[in-house]
Amino acid sequence: MTQATQHSSRPGAGSSEPLLSVRDLRVTFQRQGEEEFHAVDGVSFDVRPGQTVGLVGESGCGKSVTSLAIMGLLPGRGNRVSGSAIFDGEDLLTLSPSAMRDRRGSEIAMIFQDPLSSLNPVISIGRQVTEVMERHQGLSRKQATPKAADLLERVGIPDPKARLLNYPHQLSGGMRQRALIAMALACNPRLLIADEPTTALDVTIQAQILALLKELVVDTGTALVMITHDLGVVAGLCDEVNVLYGGKVVERGGRHGLFRDPRHPYTVGLLNSIPRLDAARGDKLSPVPGSVADNLPWTAACAFAPRCSNAIDPCTAETPQWEGDQVVGFRCFNPMGGTR
Amino acid sequence: MTQTSDAPDVLVEVTDLEVYFPIKSGIIFDRTVGHVRAVDGVDLSIRRGETYGLVGESGCGKSTLGKAILNLEPPTAGSVVFDGTDIASLKGEDLRHARKRFQMVFQDPMSSLDPRQTVESLLLEGLRAHGLDTDTDATRARLRELMSDVGLPVAALSKYPHEFSGGQRQRIGIARALSVGPDLIVADEPVSALDVSIQAQVINLLQDLQDKLGLTYLVVAHDLAVVRHISDRIGVMYLGALVEESGGAELYDVPLHPYTRALMSAVPVPDPQVEDTREQILLTGDLPSPANPPSGCRFHTRCPWKQETLCDTERPQLRVVEVSGASDSHRVACHFAEKIASGEIQRHEVEATITTPGFGGPDAGPTAPPEAYIGV
Repeated sequence: MTQATQHSSRPGAGSSEPLLSVRDLRVTFQRQGEEEFHAVDGVSFDVRPGQTVGLVGESGCGKSVTSLAIMGLLPGRGNRVSGSAIFDGEDLLTLSPSAMRDRRGSEIAMIFQDPLSSLNPVISIGRQVTEVMERHQGLSRKQATPKAADLLERVGIPDPKARLLNYPHQLSGGMRQRALIAMALACNPRLLIADEPTTALDVTIQAQILALLKELVVDTGTALVMITHDLGVVAGLCDEVNVLYGGKVVERGGRHGLFRDPRHPYTVGLLNSIPRLDAARGDKLSPVPGSVADNLPWTAACAFAPRCSNAIDPCTAETPQWEGDQVVGFRCFNPMGGTR
Repeated sequence: MTQTSDAPDVLVEVTDLEVYFPIKSGIIFDRTVGHVRAVDGVDLSIRRGETYGLVGESGCGKSTLGKAILNLEPPTAGSVVFDGTDIASLKGEDLRHARKRFQMVFQDPMSSLDPRQTVESLLLEGLRAHGLDTDTDATRARLRELMSDVGLPVAALSKYPHEFSGGQRQRIGIARALSVGPDLIVADEPVSALDVSIQAQVINLLQDLQDKLGLTYLVVAHDLAVVRHISDRIGVMYLGALVEESGGAELYDVPLHPYTRALMSAVPVPDPQVEDTREQILLTGDLPSPANPPSGCRFHTRCPWKQETLCDTERPQLRVVEVSGASDSHRVACHFAEKIASGEIQRHEVEATITTPGFGGPDAGPTAPPEAYIGV
């Protein structure tokens, strides 16, 4: 059990009280005349200041819905949220909409996947960045403008003063994502949630953005929740990794431990499905068979059992319980490996 | 170029291929004010039975090149010789007949399948168009064979595209391409819309089909790891031209072009130990506009190994270089490839310049927004 020390390589990580503590988060969608769908089914995790926590999984695993629920951005109708998300002593899930508006953008900020659709196309970049500071810090536009230029410079946008007058369509994808990060950083948030921030970008631009995020976390001590489907991104960035499947965390670990000795068959399957640049060519990939459509309900089985190579009898009859603690653990009756 | 003699069984020979898209301006009279040079002088040859991977970032012209090879996008200049006939100059009925031998698999399986046709009717369309649907029993057997080839149940034939998952839809797209019995399949980002576990299933399927049917593939993708996994040979594209071409393993072991090295170092590896220790070459700035490409070497504006001479004045051609570990089929378009490989030229910092998408190139700078919109 060396994970507890492994993720504390950065200042402040692992030592302090959690900044955000999500417990038993559940999000249920219900459409008229249809069965309930549990998009998030009892997710718990902690984020400490200066720590980067990854939520990894494939489409439909509930990773984005988790972040939207924490931010209070789910549509008001057709869903039910339960559990708690304690941020700085307050439960974000029970805050009033106006109290949540005060925190969103100032103490907690979010970076979305597609920078073009999350920026307003008819408002200049400068206005969109200053707006955040006007709303939360009570600055006038005049006061906020030089600060906005500083922010753009900090995220690596060349010639920031001229860029303030630009509209989103005049910037490239990488520059738009940088502008979005500048907006998120405008009020020095203590928690940053990034939902697939590099998925829409090319690899060389992705490398630039990831380097920028890494630098920001170290410099400012901001806690970062990184939501991604790319295990490569996680390997380079996250201190702690949560692997989600069917709305539940199926495995958690420090990044070194998890990649060296994955326990849950799904984590192993994911790692084996990725073609690696540094591996010899010609070996067959061993994909996870089937698709998420084969999932069983968690209520009386392991959702992953139909696709699992390691499934045994109880897998289709009982719900696997969490084995481990808040730092390392997995949810499986018949885990792989076992050397750690 | 001059290498055709030692490649014995070439299926596709592309020479000096150019695809330019005109930029029109004016309200009543369309004037052509410039061209987007999507593909700007590409030579490549694909051997029978091999998988050729074309890799590059968005906007580098890789998809346009794939389409131009199939004459789905008529080339502006150059020739594409497919098994002895020049497809680039074919038109109308002749082209339609020729298409039986080269098919395409598209990126997004949902938008490339007609939602109102059943799978059976989707597959029959191609067979009928090429006069292959002569005998009802034979056709039915053929459809069943196609389904089992791509790993779908026969019952899938009577279903509609929306009833399938993304991976299954991509299998239907592959079955449609296979239905007319082609020699060459161009796959444009065949797995990029799929989840990783499904991605691996489709990659394995493509490999199995190649072994079974002796297909030749041209795989166009942005994911270097995927391309390296399935390709025998890889061409790296930057801004409309090939900058490096070599065998897959060799490209990874001895990358010669600065862009290839940067691209390689940018791909995240799912192993924290590798991530922590490897050297990363971060490129600054963005891809310049293909409407106004930089002079000389296209990459010189972002190249960390750029030199004072040659780079910004003379466009490098693909050539074989004398570097240990590089075979004579490894070609690179860089003036200083040998000196970079030997370490004689060192990496330096590059100042980022803004590039705007659209008409303005790197030199034109960003266009100011119209007065009326400022402060809206």
